[in-house]
Amino acid sequence: MKIFVVVPAYNEEKTIAKVMEDLFEMGYEIIVVDDGSSDDTYNIVSRIIKEKKHGLLCRHLLNRGLGAALRTGIEAALIKDPDVIVTFDADGQHDPQDILSVSRPIINGDSDVVIGERNFKQMPSSKKFGNEVMNFITMIFYGIKVKDSQSGLRAFNRKAAETIIINARDYGVSSEIIGEVKRHNLKLVEIPIKTIYTDYSMTKGTNTSEGLKILAKLIMNILK
Amino acid sequence: MMIELYQIIAIFLGLVAITLSILRFRDGKMSLGMLIAWFLIWLIVIFISIFPNSTNYLASMTGIGRGLDFALILGLLLSFYLIFKMYNKIENIEEELTDLVRELALQRRNMGMEEDDKVKNKSENEKFADD
Repeated sequence: MKIFVVVPAYNEEKTIAKVMEDLFEMGYEIIVVDDGSSDDTYNIVSRIIKEKKHGLLCRHLLNRGLGAALRTGIEAALIKDPDVIVTFDADGQHDPQDILSVSRPIINGDSDVVIGERNFKQMPSSKKFGNEVMNFITMIFYGIKVKDSQSGLRAFNRKAAETIIINARDYGVSSEIIGEVKRHNLKLVEIPIKTIYTDYSMTKGTNTSEGLKILAKLIMNILK
Repeated sequence: MMIELYQIIAIFLGLVAITLSILRFRDGKMSLGMLIAWFLIWLIVIFISIFPNSTNYLASMTGIGRGLDFALILGLLLSFYLIFKMYNKIENIEEELTDLVRELALQRRNMGMEEDDKVKNKSENEKFADD
């Protein structure tokens, strides 16, 4: 079983090295997508890849957003003939052990797409609100109810990775993926995962203002 | 006929805009179609400023009470349309830009897959050598 881990990274120089070390230690194939970072992310990643003689690095010359980076990473993984493609955040909020948990339903053939579901009870309230709003929005716009629509830890089998078309460039991508799962009648399961909240990861991801931005974008998409 | 301040400002603005459009067209920064469209829009603005009463006719025809209201509503609608067009255009450009950036990111050379290729070519060459 070839498991490819796609790590979208935008200005993650503080955490990316540790995340990559952990993933290499567990023996996964890694594809880092540097989304036009203005810090040292690209150099750090390319140095590590040269040292280990392992892993791929895709560089967006300009910052194009999380959705664009994920799509690039998935397309790069598809070149390498994967069995499972896992997306993994670069800010160190995920536990590498969970990669196996989200991959298992795919390896067993029980599911096409797996979402790692974070525990909302442990989530800081500033994040919880934004995430609950996004779950609600995902339900309204895509008609599918999930427990955690914005999780960055997901797993796809080859078929799902090939059929899902990501157009959203920003954080709206998480909801779009779920919408695509429904549109193509793919099987989706949610598996509980651990989330590591650090001061650093707190400043990133879906907070209230990001949630409102995604909402505005979704409404715009309908009016278009 | 009293000349109001707004008439002078509108005429002046219209002339400046037309001049700018012509200059941009000459530099190749504006297409002929857009030049004609802007030309017409600003000529109408100037015309209405000189003969404000002419809008009364259109206003009564469309059922909008006063001539000035007609001009304002028309202007608003046109502005909205242009903003909408611009939004779509920017969105398309963003998409094309993303595709371009992705294409560059996925080139084998840029992904560090050159080493793979070298190894592959080498083993293929050896195969040929064996033959």
